[in-house]
Amino acid sequence: MSGRILTFNIFRYDPQEPGDKPKMVQYQLAETSGMTVFIALNRLRQEQDPSLQFDFVCRAGICGSCAMVINGFPTLACRTLTAKYPKGEITLMPLPGFELIGDLSVNTGKFMRELAERLQLWLHPKGGDMDIHRLEDPMAPEEAAKLYELERCVECGVCVSACATKQMRDTFVGAVGMMKIARFELDSRDGRSADDFYHVIGNQDGVFGCMTLLGCQDNCPKDLPHMQQIAYLRRKMASTLL
Amino acid sequence: MAGKLDIRRWSGVLDVGQSLSGVVLALFLWTHLLLVSSILLGPEAMSWVARNMELAFLSDDGHGYPWVVSLIAIGVGLLAAFHVLVALHKLPLSLRQQKALKSQMQVINHSDTRLWSWQAGTGIVILLLLPVHLWLVGSAPETIGPVGSAQRIWGEYGYLIYLPLLLTVELHAAIGLYRVALKWGAARDLNTRARLRTIKTVLSVLFVGIGLAALLAFLPHTPA
Ligand code: HEM
Ligand code: SF4
Ligand code: FES
Repeated sequence: MSGRILTFNIFRYDPQEPGDKPKMVQYQLAETSGMTVFIALNRLRQEQDPSLQFDFVCRAGICGSCAMVINGFPTLACRTLTAKYPKGEITLMPLPGFELIGDLSVNTGKFMRELAERLQLWLHPKGGDMDIHRLEDPMAPEEAAKLYELERCVECGVCVSACATKQMRDTFVGAVGMMKIARFELDSRDGRSADDFYHVIGNQDGVFGCMTLLGCQDNCPKDLPHMQQIAYLRRKMASTLL
Repeated sequence: MAGKLDIRRWSGVLDVGQSLSGVVLALFLWTHLLLVSSILLGPEAMSWVARNMELAFLSDDGHGYPWVVSLIAIGVGLLAAFHVLVALHKLPLSLRQQKALKSQMQVINHSDTRLWSWQAGTGIVILLLLPVHLWLVGSAPETIGPVGSAQRIWGEYGYLIYLPLLLTVELHAAIGLYRVALKWGAARDLNTRARLRTIKTVLSVLFVGIGLAALLAFLPHTPA
């Protein structure tokens, strides 16, 4: 569908600039074939407005930097073709729920780092074995495949901003935190017991605060299995009550 | 370290309690509706149901014990009270939370979040209407029957309570069961989830239909 004129409505606000107020600004751009929202944003910045702020690194759906809300759906700009929108109208908002750096750029990195520290999202080897020279036990391919499925997360933050529970409750860990906990819970090398995990997520800020709205599942650009994993964690945590 | 019930475990207990109380209430709701809609089979059918609910078969004079109905009403009231207390954890109680929910729903288009907001909204309406219904019935159990109920519903404006209660509670219960199924992992894949969602809608429509028909069926029995 090249040759169309696309209309972009873009959220603009620079918190660093004194007196600046949030506003929507309209831009027009000629569509080219195979255009993604990410390509369009770069053209707009190059040709029309050098002050436009947005994030990207890999432009291939791997780094997770370019997530934003496109016509009401949070997703990766670099994987969204403009041809998807028959009316040629595209509204762009920054991901809600994160610190706004400016315009479409939000600080997901800070959030992910704090989350990792709070939930201790790294391998805790069995028996506190920190000897890096010891060979790891081999892992069954089925287990490795399960872990790999969860390792595909690119930390884009979409599941966090798609979650109304998280927006209402700041301290809620959100889907990405639970997915990562599930990843270590499934890992046979990790020494933490269900009881240990209960102390981290067996509360209103963790799995029992989740209201199963499934905004995470329905928007994750990597199609991670949030619905099944969070239900699994919930059963696992509930089973420690018995 | 199983079986240890310290204070930190409460949120787990409450979450299980929310689901269990919701499921029991929903099963009660549908059983209750089917029993009441015996009026659709005629006044004799409903009188028979009402007699048996009062355990008439156990009493010598065949009049039964109407207080059994009062007991059921108290039990449902207690269960609903527990359910509401747990739900208060989840509802946006502060203005800040209400604003966050509103702006989230404006920026992000997500249908299951809208479903939840319906569930929360209908929950509040039920909270206001259910006590009235339980009081009306629980305080005068002996009047339940084709004529007494018709008098309450149509003669004394009970329909002003019953119509909105029927609509809200049938939405709330079906959405609630759908969510219970998903939250504990009954749907293994997204197709199953879509199917459950369809079943949820069918159940709501079906029971609202039966309920409306039953309410109308009382109309001819209203004493002049
Ligand atoms: C007798 C009528 C009622 C029935 C049959 C019923 C049924 C249910 C069910 C099955 C659930 C799902 C439970 C879960 O998510 O674990 C639920 C959740 C809920 N109920 Fe009720 N309920 C009733 C009354 C109420 C009332 C009076 C309120 C008042 C505020 C209420 C508020 C809620 C809320 C806010 C939730 C959502 C909880 C969550 O998102 O985790 N319900 N209900
Ligand atoms: S789980 Fe999905 S939506 Fe959430 S951060 Fe990872 S890739 Fe993004
Ligand atoms: S730029 Fe890396 S995911 Fe879009």
